[in-house]
Amino acid sequence: MTTLTTPTQGPGRWLTWDRPLPWLLPLTVVLLLFTVYPLFYNIWLSFHEYAPLKRQLVWVGGKNWSTLLADARFWQSIGVTLIYFFVVLAVELVLGMLIALLLDTDEPGFGFLRGTLTLTLVVPPAVVGMMFLLMEDPEFGVLSYALKSLGILDSSTPILSTPSLALAGVMLADVWQWTPFMVLIFLAGLRSLPSEPFEAAMLDGASAFQMFRRLTLPLMSKVIAVAILIRGIDLFRMFDYVYVMTSGGPGTSTYTVSLYAWQQTFSFIKWGYGATISLVTLVIILLMANLFIWLAKVRW
Amino acid sequence: MVQSPARRFWRILIAWMVVMLFFFPLFYWFTVAVKDAREIFDIPPRIVDFTPTMANFEAVFGIDFGGEKSRVAQTGGGNFYMAPRLVDSIIIALFSTLLAVMVATMASYALSRMPFRTRHHYVAWVLSTRMMPPVAVVIPIFFIYKNLNLLDTYTGVILIHMVMNLPLAVLLMKSFFDDIPKEIDESAMLDGASRWLMFRRIMLPMVKGGIAATAVLCFIFSWTEFLFVLTLTQTSLKTVPVVSSTFVTSTGTAWGNMAALGTAAMLPAFVFILLVQKQLVRGLTLGSVKQ
Repeated sequence: MTTLTTPTQGPGRWLTWDRPLPWLLPLTVVLLLFTVYPLFYNIWLSFHEYAPLKRQLVWVGGKNWSTLLADARFWQSIGVTLIYFFVVLAVELVLGMLIALLLDTDEPGFGFLRGTLTLTLVVPPAVVGMMFLLMEDPEFGVLSYALKSLGILDSSTPILSTPSLALAGVMLADVWQWTPFMVLIFLAGLRSLPSEPFEAAMLDGASAFQMFRRLTLPLMSKVIAVAILIRGIDLFRMFDYVYVMTSGGPGTSTYTVSLYAWQQTFSFIKWGYGATISLVTLVIILLMANLFIWLAKVRW
Repeated sequence: MVQSPARRFWRILIAWMVVMLFFFPLFYWFTVAVKDAREIFDIPPRIVDFTPTMANFEAVFGIDFGGEKSRVAQTGGGNFYMAPRLVDSIIIALFSTLLAVMVATMASYALSRMPFRTRHHYVAWVLSTRMMPPVAVVIPIFFIYKNLNLLDTYTGVILIHMVMNLPLAVLLMKSFFDDIPKEIDESAMLDGASRWLMFRRIMLPMVKGGIAATAVLCFIFSWTEFLFVLTLTQTSLKTVPVVSSTFVTSTGTAWGNMAALGTAAMLPAFVFILLVQKQLVRGLTLGSVKQ
């Protein structure tokens, strides 16, 4: 490693350990090769399409892009993704906050409860999909059985093959796996709140709800913003649960954009068109996330 | 705050009920793994009243646990011997974690300690690679790998899992470096230590805990990843999450075998995650929320 320490002039001076360059070089090269180059490759692909007869990619100009604009199934998949995004995010935020408030105490045994909640986070999402596929099975699924026994679900209604219910069935798997994510982050936020404002508010006779509304929420705004950002990114590109549980069906009722792009590319061999859809997904996520970072002033 | 005994009682009761509700699917999945094929399909579903059997684990891992008799194939008639896939998962997770942690530790040291003009933009760039949807990466990578003969190889999957984990590892390690007081490196520099020596001898030992937490999270994310492995491998290797989804066959789903494999795949992750409880929130938020 001593070779990197001597020159003080010429281009070599950038390569001493006192400069950031050698430290950042491996990361930069890897990210350029695996994220920037594929991005340009994707743009190039979106102007080509696979021609089965010629067995190669041919230039098609803007055809993929005009197809995209007129593709009802693409727009539907955007709609499904947006519904999924907003509903699941809202449910996980509210549920996560409620459970975090419930668990924010030093009662004996609550450390164990918090530890138990973390377990859902490390189950492979594909396995979670299979778990809920089994539990929502119309014939022998334990969840279907429970809902039928309670009279919530009609005995002839299969959750995952009913167009109006299938997406909710998939959302349930997501909510189960990632609500604990919110709980843990919010708990960390609640734990780090200063106690003085709350003591002052107590003396002033504020109700518990007023304190939550006027003190807890504003003081936690940074933590909540980070949770929304990280979960939001994952929600918008969701793939695993739908792939495993419904493959987009019944009909097209659970196609997310990621699944649609993947299927167009690898099941229907429309390489250029799949790349086009995935590019749009990428642009939407980058725009939404960076706008959010800017508006919510999240900093790293 | 002081609580009345009644409120305290309700709070404890509700907290336990909520957590048990979240725990139930995991418990139920475990019972499916140790159930006989027929009992899985019983109505009403059997929660505790079943005869436990190791047959599913025996079929999946090819080990005779000394039960009544081992069964190789179940519903679908296929062979569900999956021990090699577990090895694939371990190899991929281990090596991608090792690479990601090495690259990230170096980079994050510079991002934490060496001010340069575009540093803020560089961090934003790293963060933005975390936002890329996997599907937008996997399509071009598939063709690039095809040309480089990297499809269906350990190298290919290890590299892409490393890349997937880099933003997390870099931002998380940066937050651990940021925690070390600047005075420590300043005084070491005054004593004439070179950057590299100081990094090796002073900084690295101080972020050991951070490196461990970062490694555990990278391992888990590689272990549970689905889309890249699904797309970039064909026959010679597969990880546990991907192979689980292939237990659905035309003649039915081998739920028992799938649950056995799934349970075995979760256990190491459970152990790991409990080891890094203290750093978990920081890890999940890419270093921005500290416990």
